[in-house]
Amino acid sequence: MSINFTINGREVIGKKGESILEVARREGIYIPTMCYLAKTTPNASCRMCVVEVKDMDGFILSCNTPPTKGVSITTNSDDLFHERQNIMKLYNVNHPLQCGVCDKSGECDLQNKTLEFQVAQQDFATKEQKRKPKKWGVLSYDPYLCIMCEKCTAVCNQVVGSEALYIKPGGYKSEIDNHFTKCIQCGECISVCPVGAMASSDFKYTANAWELKKIPSACAHCSSVCALEYEVKEVGIGSTFKDKEIYRVTNEADHDSLCGAGRFGYDYENRVTCKDKEAFAKAIGAFESAKSIHFTSMISNEEAYILQGLKEKHGYKLINAEAKAYQNFMKAYTSVSGCTLYSATLDTIRNCDYAITLGSAVSQDNPMIRFALAQAVNNNRAYVSVMHPFEDDMIRNIVSQYVKYEVGSEEGVLALLCENFIADEHRKTFSKFLDSLDEGYICGETSVGEEEFETLNRYKNRKKAPVLILGADLFTHPEAENIARMAGLLDRYSDFDIMIIPSNTNTLGVSLICDLDDEMTAPSLGYNAPANFVLSALGDGDLDMPAMNQQEGTLTSIDKEVVPLNAGLPYHGYELSDIANVLGLTCKHLIDFTCKLPTAKGYSSVAFDDLDNCYLNDGTQVRGYKLDNPKLKASESPSEIADIREFNGSVIYNCNPISQFNRFTDKAHQIIDKAILIGSQQFADAAKIKSGEQVTFSVDGQTITRKFKLSSKLKGTVALNPDFDMFEKSAAYRYTQVKIERV
Amino acid sequence: MSLEQFQDRNVAEQNYFHVDIPDYPTTGWGKVKRAASRTFKGELFVGLWVVFREMIKFDIHTVQYPKEKLPVGPRYRAVHEMQRLFESGTERCIGCGLCEKICISNCIRMETKLDENSRKLVTDYTINLGRCIFCGYCAEVCPELAIVHGPRYENVSDQRAHFTDFSDMLTPIDAAISGTQKEFDGFGAVTPHEDERVKTTPLAY
Repeated sequence: MSINFTINGREVIGKKGESILEVARREGIYIPTMCYLAKTTPNASCRMCVVEVKDMDGFILSCNTPPTKGVSITTNSDDLFHERQNIMKLYNVNHPLQCGVCDKSGECDLQNKTLEFQVAQQDFATKEQKRKPKKWGVLSYDPYLCIMCEKCTAVCNQVVGSEALYIKPGGYKSEIDNHFTKCIQCGECISVCPVGAMASSDFKYTANAWELKKIPSACAHCSSVCALEYEVKEVGIGSTFKDKEIYRVTNEADHDSLCGAGRFGYDYENRVTCKDKEAFAKAIGAFESAKSIHFTSMISNEEAYILQGLKEKHGYKLINAEAKAYQNFMKAYTSVSGCTLYSATLDTIRNCDYAITLGSAVSQDNPMIRFALAQAVNNNRAYVSVMHPFEDDMIRNIVSQYVKYEVGSEEGVLALLCENFIADEHRKTFSKFLDSLDEGYICGETSVGEEEFETLNRYKNRKKAPVLILGADLFTHPEAENIARMAGLLDRYSDFDIMIIPSNTNTLGVSLICDLDDEMTAPSLGYNAPANFVLSALGDGDLDMPAMNQQEGTLTSIDKEVVPLNAGLPYHGYELSDIANVLGLTCKHLIDFTCKLPTAKGYSSVAFDDLDNCYLNDGTQVRGYKLDNPKLKASESPSEIADIREFNGSVIYNCNPISQFNRFTDKAHQIIDKAILIGSQQFADAAKIKSGEQVTFSVDGQTITRKFKLSSKLKGTVALNPDFDMFEKSAAYRYTQVKIERV
Repeated sequence: MSLEQFQDRNVAEQNYFHVDIPDYPTTGWGKVKRAASRTFKGELFVGLWVVFREMIKFDIHTVQYPKEKLPVGPRYRAVHEMQRLFESGTERCIGCGLCEKICISNCIRMETKLDENSRKLVTDYTINLGRCIFCGYCAEVCPELAIVHGPRYENVSDQRAHFTDFSDMLTPIDAAISGTQKEFDGFGAVTPHEDERVKTTPLAY
């Protein structure tokens, strides 16, 4: 349905659900606003966006008024200017006139609008209140500068979904406060603040905005690969080397979001002063004698292409257990669903009205999934059911229903989802599989009651866009193949869109580009992974490699997009392309391979320099290109489910703190979470340990010693064991039954 | 010359006059005549006589640099100075970064941070005098009259990139407290009629 109307005499067409402001922005017509934020629902508090409608008295708010057919709207007139000027005068009441030393350094909405509406002098004043500046971890708040536009509380509630920031009401005394235990330190509030009130504690007052050079790139910490801009400046006075430094990370906050890792985990670069010829010669020697290459998925598509090319030329075995598990999972999924890739994107989740997550620690694994779910709840009143062995307290505001199942019983839970949600007309085709399900047994073993599925079913009525989100617990499950087939079944024969969260930054890209092997044969060569000869971007290996913020390349994101990555900082050492050149894969730069990525796997032959990275007026992100997702013939069907193994006693779950993903985020100085084992009182009692004690246990053959910390937010006998400080992600099932010993 | 006289730009009312200089000869004969008169007029001896006369008078006008120096005008732009507030002695620089921004030869670099009183604090400040062209923009743009050009024009160094530090430029604290710091009245300084130009904002409540 389209609505024809005019703005300033220009014919425009509005879509259903759009406000006048949205249509105007899309068409590039300027309407000033102070409190409007495109990614949240309008809170209509600033009244700057008023417009005139022909043959109507008074002004209307364009931010929350939908257009009607044939209306004629004026966005500029003397009356409107006067109205807006008065609003700006009120905004400026007692606002400190110290713009020279404000952290915003001119990137200030208040300053822009004050100048725009020619507020040259202040006619009003009020008695100044005594207020206190506050500091909440990475963010600091200066109430004197705050204009109470409520953008920060809006993002905290509607986008992040943590409801940490709130308004302490009190007329002119009102200010923002923080339920600090709910705050996940993502810094979304900092990015949307139009004045200098919410600022980054670390960055505050260290540089003026105009001194910083913006380099658009992408975050390389998780598979969401969010767009960001590195803000770079020369390192400080007195440094012995002349180089650049990233001062902060910003993004297009009106339309897009970043989590704490993206915003604060940027300084993980590997500083190398020159090319180390000796180490390079050794590396070439190591490549010549090596039989296998061991690597992680935190590499670009081009590097993955090089590794695959080296495998084809020199017969190396490529070892990446985590990507291999994902690759196998996707292969089994394809065999039933008939698509090479899963069907959902983050936008699907944002626009869904019903979501189930299974096998993922939603807050920790992929923050953008959580943000998208929060937006779905806020915008479409989505029903969100989180299926996981323990309740995640951090997302209590988002979740409608927690479904707790026994550790290890994911296969059974997914089977019951198939039983409940496969469309009736297809049930016959899979009657063999569906009939084999013994609901009583599965319910008993998973300890998910039938009434919980009834609730799920009841809320699904009349929902139009359901999404099923599958997490990393499933890829390493012993029955992963069958789980994947069931996921494929649900994708093809139910109305669910499926999202299979890639477990690491470029797991999807690596699983598409590389032919991975299982067994490692010595001598091995590691790229950010343990081996006989290690190439490391952390600076602790035998040859230094550039970190992801020093590289050009592309990444394959969770949205199945190939997105460009630009180098935020220069790198003076050797790159993987230099090695490739010696070993017979000739290229001038790494990005010469961008157009050679395998088209059979859905990549297009687009050169790196032709990849877009921008936003349109209506907020649409234009980044890189989407992977082709060809339909294949589906042949397989899920088999009977295996007996469900019980996990008794102390169980630990590989799960990182929020914003802490890998050793690179650990290197970043603003992300301070330590690697400690976190468990409930019940866990502590069962394992006979106390908070603060050093404990030791063994996971996947590795003995780990960690400090134990009690958390009042956790329940049950599963403790969280971070793996961000490990050399590589474990390929074993994320839950391990362990024997815990005190050191 | 008094300051009032100096600032008075009305040429018509002052004692300006045209100097009567004869035109240069254009013809060949005229040039020959000029050369002959210059040669035989004895002007050389006039000059020598002046020198001799002044020498025996022992009233020499030559400044005995570096033992003595000519006073420089307030608008002279030499090596920068960082001023302090009178009485309290607090540094005037607020770290706004405008001097760093406006510097056309890119020779100013400052580092700032948040101090414990939630104010902006300048932690480090340098000027590369090897690059500085002494244009005076920094002093002109400074909203606090903190960075000014002083009269110190001697900057000799054994390397081209001769840096000057914040602490070197800063007025000694005792000079500020005792009030001997000289207020800058040169380039970008407050003009005498500044009070009339300031628009007052009502803050009475």
